[in-house]
Amino acid sequence: MKLAQRETIAAPAARVWALVMDLEKAAGCVPGITALTQVAPDRYRGSLPVQIGPVRLVLEGEIAVTARDDAARRATLRADAKDSRLGGTVRATIDVALAESGASTELRVDGDVQIAGRIGEFGQPVIQRKAGQLLQQMAACLGRMAAT
Amino acid sequence: MSFEFVVPESWPETLTLLAQRGDEAFVLAGGTAFTLLLRQGLIRPAYVVSLRRVQDAARIKADAHGGLSIGATATHTDVVRSSAVRGAWPELADAVAKVATVRVRNQATLGGSVAHADPASDAPVMLAALDAQAVVLGAGGARRRIPVDELLVEPFTTTLAPTDLIHSLEVRARRPTTRAVYLKYTPRSADDYATVAVAALANVSDGVLHDLRIFLGAVGPRPMRASSVEKALGSGRVDARAIDDAAALARDDVDPIDDLRGSAVYKREMARVWTARALRELAGL
Amino acid sequence: MSPPTIRFSLNGHARELEVDPAHRLIDVLRDDCGLTGTKEGCSVGVCGACSVLVNGEVVSACLLPAPHVDGASVITIEGLAQGGALTPLQEAFITEGGFQCGICTPGQIITATALLTARPKPTDADISEWMMGSLCRCTGYHGITRAIKKAVEG
Repeated sequence: MKLAQRETIAAPAARVWALVMDLEKAAGCVPGITALTQVAPDRYRGSLPVQIGPVRLVLEGEIAVTARDDAARRATLRADAKDSRLGGTVRATIDVALAESGASTELRVDGDVQIAGRIGEFGQPVIQRKAGQLLQQMAACLGRMAAT
Repeated sequence: MSFEFVVPESWPETLTLLAQRGDEAFVLAGGTAFTLLLRQGLIRPAYVVSLRRVQDAARIKADAHGGLSIGATATHTDVVRSSAVRGAWPELADAVAKVATVRVRNQATLGGSVAHADPASDAPVMLAALDAQAVVLGAGGARRRIPVDELLVEPFTTTLAPTDLIHSLEVRARRPTTRAVYLKYTPRSADDYATVAVAALANVSDGVLHDLRIFLGAVGPRPMRASSVEKALGSGRVDARAIDDAAALARDDVDPIDDLRGSAVYKREMARVWTARALRELAGL
Repeated sequence: MSPPTIRFSLNGHARELEVDPAHRLIDVLRDDCGLTGTKEGCSVGVCGACSVLVNGEVVSACLLPAPHVDGASVITIEGLAQGGALTPLQEAFITEGGFQCGICTPGQIITATALLTARPKPTDADISEWMMGSLCRCTGYHGITRAIKKAVEG
């Protein structure tokens, strides 16, 4: 499942980049995330409750930076999570890139999400919409954080 | 035992239970959606509240003017057979008769259908077109009315709080010139969910579709209002050409997905085709 | 917290049982009551194999939460024949070739029984509407329709 999000942030690119690459701060922008702990440099573990209608999941997993280019301001993150309540896994590869545009920055997030198990049976379109919402909220949060 | 199962006998009793345990409660009426979600392992409720014994919760009545009130736990079959519905809004009975099979209609309720907010379901789409209001009971018994089309936001998600309950669905009396229609396109089997469904209502006089409301089902996260189509027809006389031109705009009002019932591209095109058919039926063309 | 108790009439006999609320009527019928005539085909209420009558109305036993039959009257395929005598509909299924493997047959007969109770002289449209969703992989449906019409004629 492919996801894409674009957000214009009223802050210079250098500041946005620093924020995005500060994984603890960036992960804090995932709505609802809890128990965020550092496992290794550039790797964090956390717990994310997600609700889609009557269905409640708790995704537990890790997010890590697997590639970064500070000069070009591009990076790749990898997230692996499991939902033990329903039985299912989520694996996402997320490419982040910044483009400067005057005093603003365009944040580009492109994700490839693979869902397996029970969660997947619920219906890709519903999940896609939910994932898109999460991504949009995250980007907006990063934007607010960077602009202050 | 797997979970606690309570069967309150009145709305106040139900509200009290939800006030205590609303956050973890699953509320069910007919139980079709509940059983499917439970068997698929998608829900693991600790506390289940069944509305089957709530007094008067299934009552259907029409007032002297032809305004309709349908209790939340009235089944689809109750609605189809109701002389009150047949008298006030026969088109609603016809729409509800198109849901699934006789077995599902005998068990599933209209209130449950609205609360479950399955984007592919029929009743919410027709209710939206008829500008139906959900009477909602909140904490302490506070009663408010929410238009059905405002209640439904996302797939399987309404604006209701965990302590809220749908009490009934109300449809205002029609005018002598009111016409309504529900068309359901099921290219696979007749008991399927729609590939696209169109619910339309207008007060028709002198060839003009006044107060036109068009909602499309199964082509978005909720019943999708065909505002572009409504605007295009405006307050002029409609003819076949005007209808075709306006219906083409339905493609922009929907947000379908690819699934077993059709590709998004196909559904957009069918939205146009079936909107045109619904409009022709309303206009008597 | 104790499991709910249901009191209901099953094929004319009063029954009282404790049930797991996660169970469906079909679980109660087959496992608790030993009535295996009702078959579980799809488990999602689509195929009609598990059709039973609850308060005279046909429903899918695989979709009905067990506690929901408390106070109700349930009729299964085993409860149609009276004193060993098959109903005219059941006889017609035999004479008109209304079944082959038999797995969908209890559901077909229960649903057709409900149809004929509601519409003693059903039109073809009535038959289609009621029998829609009672799936059969063997007969091609004509034998089933013939059986229903034969039962109407008498």
